[in-house]
Amino acid sequence: MREIEWFFPESLDEVPPLLAKRGVIPHGGGTGILRVKALRGRSHGSGGGPEAGGVRGLIDLGRLPLRQFERLGDRVEIGPSLTFAEVAERFERDHILARALGGCASTPLRNRITIGGSVALFPAWSDLMGPLIALEADVSLIAAERGTFPLSRYVSEPGLRRGTLVTGVSFRDQAWSSFYYRDVRTRFDYSAFTVTILLKKGVGKVLDARIVVIGCKGKFRRLHELEEQVKGAPAGGAGALSYPPLSFTGKKFMSPEYLAHCARVELERGLEALLRE
Amino acid sequence: MRGAFIVNGARLEACFHSADTLLTLLRREGHTEVKEGCREGLCGACVVLLEGKLVNSCQVLAASTAGKHITTVSGIGSLHDPHPIQSALVEAGAVQCGFCSPGMVLAAYALLSANSNPGEDEIRQAIDGNFCRCTGYVKIVEAVKLAARRMRAHE
Repeated sequence: MREIEWFFPESLDEVPPLLAKRGVIPHGGGTGILRVKALRGRSHGSGGGPEAGGVRGLIDLGRLPLRQFERLGDRVEIGPSLTFAEVAERFERDHILARALGGCASTPLRNRITIGGSVALFPAWSDLMGPLIALEADVSLIAAERGTFPLSRYVSEPGLRRGTLVTGVSFRDQAWSSFYYRDVRTRFDYSAFTVTILLKKGVGKVLDARIVVIGCKGKFRRLHELEEQVKGAPAGGAGALSYPPLSFTGKKFMSPEYLAHCARVELERGLEALLRE
Repeated sequence: MRGAFIVNGARLEACFHSADTLLTLLRREGHTEVKEGCREGLCGACVVLLEGKLVNSCQVLAASTAGKHITTVSGIGSLHDPHPIQSALVEAGAVQCGFCSPGMVLAAYALLSANSNPGEDEIRQAIDGNFCRCTGYVKIVEAVKLAARRMRAHE
């Protein structure tokens, strides 16, 4: 069986030529890499070869300066090698990222899952992407593309993800009222969908709103039309809102209609709770 | 591949496949106190402390841990010199089949190293990645509280 080649770069300058090699991908330490078929085959002892998943090499990110957590004015930049647990504990308990990342998966998994891996792989059950999309985060990239791009563009354009390394995630950290819901059967389960709502309220009315559903068709949907209705609405209740239809793909034991109904219910509950707050 | 690791304070040099998990490596090198359960990162039977952080060793690639400090349950106590958490588990009746116990001990150890006086919610969160199919967790939570009291008393 062919070995997977490991690379241990010590500076970011060493990364682009490695990423340009065929079948070489970054490994920040998170758990997503073990979903790669090649590695699964090996880790289960079934003899699956690296060629099965096309992975020929892994770039260990552990020696790179990717663990920053910096506040510059009202902007926060998070290093991609920080884990969910490390990020959750850096924010106040009611911050949307502390809620979402501090309550997902399990303690040992939160100690491993990295910000960069979750952004790059964007699993359908992600607890990170809803809050980041709602916060209108940017991602900084090197290698095939270089620069800072809106996260919404990064997740929509495969060309930005191919052959690039995430070197930072940043966003304006403003005072939002937040609601986060993850639809799970048991606490550590993968979520069927998540709902993220951020509201900024003035005296008696809503000044700004961000609403994101993850896990629906197309992986995520930002509900701009609902946001527009909520903006300017008087605080106190969500009674008169018109909810856009949501489409889901069915999951085991959950039909598309059931998931759409549940997501709609949680959107209503979240908005009701935040508007009455 | 070849790599050196610090396991329970001792240097371990080992040969391993480039895609081996830390669980595979540790068990092959004789650390069978690290239990092999689901291999999916769900059950917590295989947890170890990696640089002091509780992790599922089945979800960690061995190559990425070369040179790092790894602690298994054998690194914090033994049959003849048990850690207060291990004694508390026995006294509270929190050990039945015992398969989850190494992981439970390490999860409790990680918690009590950071928080010497945890509340019940904090204890339950700390062991949320460790399945026990015998006890129903009540005795385990009681054992962690007992261990916390004893460890605070000896501080």
